[in-house]
Amino acid sequence: MKQTLFSATLDNGITLLGEDLPDLESAAVAIHVPAGAVHDGPGRCGLATLAGELCLRGAGQRDSRRIVEDLENAGVQWAHSVSATHASFSGAMVARRLPDALPIFADIVRRPRLPPDEFDAARDMVLQGLAGTEDDPAHRTMLALRQIHFPAPWGMPAEGLAAEVERLSCADVRRFCSTHLLPAGSIIAVAGRIDWPDFVARCTRLFGDWRGDPPPPIAPGPRGPHSRHVPHDAQQTHVAIAWSQPPYRDDASHEATAALGILGGGSSSRLFTEVRERRGLCYTVSAGYQTHRDFAIAVCYAGTTAARAQETLDVILAEIERLPGTISAEELDRIKARAKSALVMQQESSAARAGSLGRQWYHLGEMRTLAEELARYDRLTVAAVEDWLAAQPPKDLSVVSLGHEALEVPRGVSA
Amino acid sequence: MAFLRERLDNGLEVIAETSAHAVSTSVGFFVNTGSRDESDLLWGTSHFLEHMIFKGTESVSGDEINRRFDAMGASANAYTAEEDTVYYATVLPDRQADAVDLIARMMRPALREEDFSTEKLVILEEIRMYDDQPPFGADDQCRAAFFGDHPLARSVLGTVESITALPVEAMRDYHHRRYAPGTMVLAATGAVDFPALVADARRLCGGWESQPDTTRLRPDAPDRAARPGTTRIVRPSATLEYGVRMSPGPSERHADRFAAKLLAAVLGDSSGSRLYWALVDSGDAEQATLHHHEFLDAGLFVTQLSCDADAIDTQFERILEIYRDAATRGIAGPEFDQARNKLASRVVLAGERPRRRLFEVGGEWAHARTYRTVAETLGIVESLTRNDVQQVLERWRLDESASIVLAGPSGG
Repeated sequence: MKQTLFSATLDNGITLLGEDLPDLESAAVAIHVPAGAVHDGPGRCGLATLAGELCLRGAGQRDSRRIVEDLENAGVQWAHSVSATHASFSGAMVARRLPDALPIFADIVRRPRLPPDEFDAARDMVLQGLAGTEDDPAHRTMLALRQIHFPAPWGMPAEGLAAEVERLSCADVRRFCSTHLLPAGSIIAVAGRIDWPDFVARCTRLFGDWRGDPPPPIAPGPRGPHSRHVPHDAQQTHVAIAWSQPPYRDDASHEATAALGILGGGSSSRLFTEVRERRGLCYTVSAGYQTHRDFAIAVCYAGTTAARAQETLDVILAEIERLPGTISAEELDRIKARAKSALVMQQESSAARAGSLGRQWYHLGEMRTLAEELARYDRLTVAAVEDWLAAQPPKDLSVVSLGHEALEVPRGVSA
Repeated sequence: MAFLRERLDNGLEVIAETSAHAVSTSVGFFVNTGSRDESDLLWGTSHFLEHMIFKGTESVSGDEINRRFDAMGASANAYTAEEDTVYYATVLPDRQADAVDLIARMMRPALREEDFSTEKLVILEEIRMYDDQPPFGADDQCRAAFFGDHPLARSVLGTVESITALPVEAMRDYHHRRYAPGTMVLAATGAVDFPALVADARRLCGGWESQPDTTRLRPDAPDRAARPGTTRIVRPSATLEYGVRMSPGPSERHADRFAAKLLAAVLGDSSGSRLYWALVDSGDAEQATLHHHEFLDAGLFVTQLSCDADAIDTQFERILEIYRDAATRGIAGPEFDQARNKLASRVVLAGERPRRRLFEVGGEWAHARTYRTVAETLGIVESLTRNDVQQVLERWRLDESASIVLAGPSGG
C-alpha cells in the first residue's frame, strides 16, 4: 500500500508529522507537549492533570466558553488528556476546518490564561473525576497494579490522588505550566486529507517563535511491594497480574507482544479459552501490553465472583507458566493476521493515524511505514518467539486483588 | 457509494453500501429480536442466545469459531439490545467470503446443553459485573419504572433468577421462532463484492425455513412515565450518587427524531452544553448529560447525573430549572448553530468508517426498510431549524412526567 508520510522539525525542537490520506473527508491533529504526570513532584500527584484542565479555561483572546464554542462551531471533535509523559490536545474534523482549529490549540498550549477565578472549579472537576474512579473497580485494580509494578513516579496515577489534588494551588499550576509547557520535545501530528506545505507554514507561524528550555529528565525511583490486596465491598473480585516486558522501541517487543497475544489477546487466546470458554469463570479476561519509552509491562486482568476468584487466579498463573515452549504455528499466524488487519484498517481513521504517528515518534524517534510494520510481523517465527520466551520467561510477577478477601499468591510467583 | 439490495425467496434481505475507497469490509446479521420479544419466563434469553451463537454449530465448535475469526484477522463481536441482536465482523476485503461463511453458519447454532450450562456461568458473571458498576442498575430500574407493564421495561441481561431458571429447550424454541429469515437482514458495508455476498447468502441461508408468524409484541408504549417519581437503590460502599431520569421523547418513526437529538446536544451534550457549563465545568457533578434514545414505537429523553450524594437532589433541581428555562424561553441562535455543527461533523466522521456505517445502514434497514446516504443524513441535520427544536420542547416537556432512579450511598 502506498503511503505518504512527512516530517519536519522547527528550530525550537517541535517535531511536525503528517500522513496524507486523500480518500478521507476528515483531518485529525494531535499536539503532545511533554508536560505529563511524571513531573508532578512529590506530594503533588495530579498537578499535570489539573494544569491540563486549567489550560482549557481561557487561552489567548478566548475565555473558557469561547474555546469550546469556537472548536465545536468548526465541527472539531476535540479531546484532551494527560498521560505519565504528555499533555495532549487533539481534534478530528472535516478537513477544510483544520486551519480554524490550529490557532485555538496553539493558544491553549502557548498562552493559557490560567485564571485564578476558575481554579476552584477546575480542581473540583478533577476531584469529581477521581471520586468517579473510586466506583470503577476494574480501573482501581489497574491503578494499584501500575503503582506497585512501575518505578516511581511512572506508577503514580496521572489523574491524581484526591488528598494531594486538594492541597494544590493556582500558583502550583502556574509554576508547572511555565516550566513544562515548552516546545522542546513537543510533537504535532496530523493525518487525513491534508496539504502538508500549508500545514508546515501554519505551524511555523503559530509555534515557531515559542521558546523555552526543557525541564531536566526524571530519574526512575524505587518500586513498591510486589503484591497487594485492596479491600472493596462488591460481588466481584478483580485480579490483575503484571511482569516486565521490553519497551516498544526494543526490537524484541514484536516477539514479546506476539507471545502475549497468544496468551490473552483475542477470543482464540489461551486465557479466553481456558478461563472463560472452558470454565465459565468470568466475563472479562485478557492479557495486554502497556509501554513507556524505557520500560513496559504485560498485564493480565480478570473479574469474577469472589468464590471463584482464587480458581481464576490459579488458572491464569498456570497458563502464564505453560506459555514458554508450547507455541504453535497456527497460534502465531492468528496473531499476525489480527495485527496486520488492525494496522491496515487504521487507514480509515484520520484520528487513529495521527495518534499512531505521534506514538511512533515518541517511542522510536521515527515513523514506520505500514509496509515496514507489516514486514516486521511477516518476519516473526515460532522459533524467534520461543527463543525470546526461553531467554525472558515471565517472572517476578506483581499481583493485585480488589474485593472482599485477599487471594493466595503461590510462593515463588511474586518476587 | 452505492446501495444494493436483494431478497432471497425465504424472505432474507441482503443489502450493501459499497465504498470504492474503503480498505475494509464489514458484514453483519441484524436480527429483529431483543428483550422486548421475551416473556417473563424468557427474560434475558435474547442476550444469552447471543453468547450461545458463539458456542458453535453441529459441525463447527465454539473454539473453531474463535480460531477462524482470529485467523482471518477479523474484528468480530455481537450485541443485544431491547429490539435488536446484531452479529458483525470487520475484515480485510479478501476475507469477505470467510467472514460471511462463518457468521452465516453461526446463525444456526447447536445450542448444546453442556455449553449452555457453562455459558450460564459467564452470563451470571456479566450481570454481577454490571451490578457492581455505576450506575449500579439505576438505568435498568429507571426504564422499568418508565415502561411499567410494557415489554420495553425488561432489562437486556435478565436477572440472576431468570437466567438460573432458564431451560435450554426454551432457548431452542425461542431461536427457532425468532431467527427466521423474515426477521433477519444480512448487511455489508465498505469494500463489498455484492454478487459474491448474494451468492454466499443463497448457498448458506437459502435453506432456512420461513416462520409463519414472526410479528413481535407490539402493545402501545406508554407516552408518559408509567411509574413517575423517585426510587432509590442503596449502595453503601459507593463514592458518588448516580441518577437516571427518563421522560417521553419521539420514537424512531417520528418526524421529531433528529430535532430531538439536536435539542439533547444543546442541553446536555458531554461538552459545551447547558448542563455541561452549569454542572460539570463548575465541578459540581462528575457527569450531567441528556440524550435521546429511540425505539420502534417509543422514545425517551434520558438524563444521567453523578455527583456527591448529599448534592443529588439539588443538582437534579438545577437540571429541571434548565429544562424549564428552555421550555419557556426557547434556545438561542448561537447554541443551536453550535449543536448543529457538532452533529453534522459527527455524521461526516462516522460515515468514513465502514464499521460505523454497518450499524447505521443495517439497523435502519432492519427496522424500517429505509436507506440514507451519509450526504442525505447530513442534509437532514443541516436543514433543521430552531423552530423544529422549539416544537420538540413543546411536544415533549422535559420537565414533566418522569421516572427517576438514584443509586449510591445516600439511600435517601
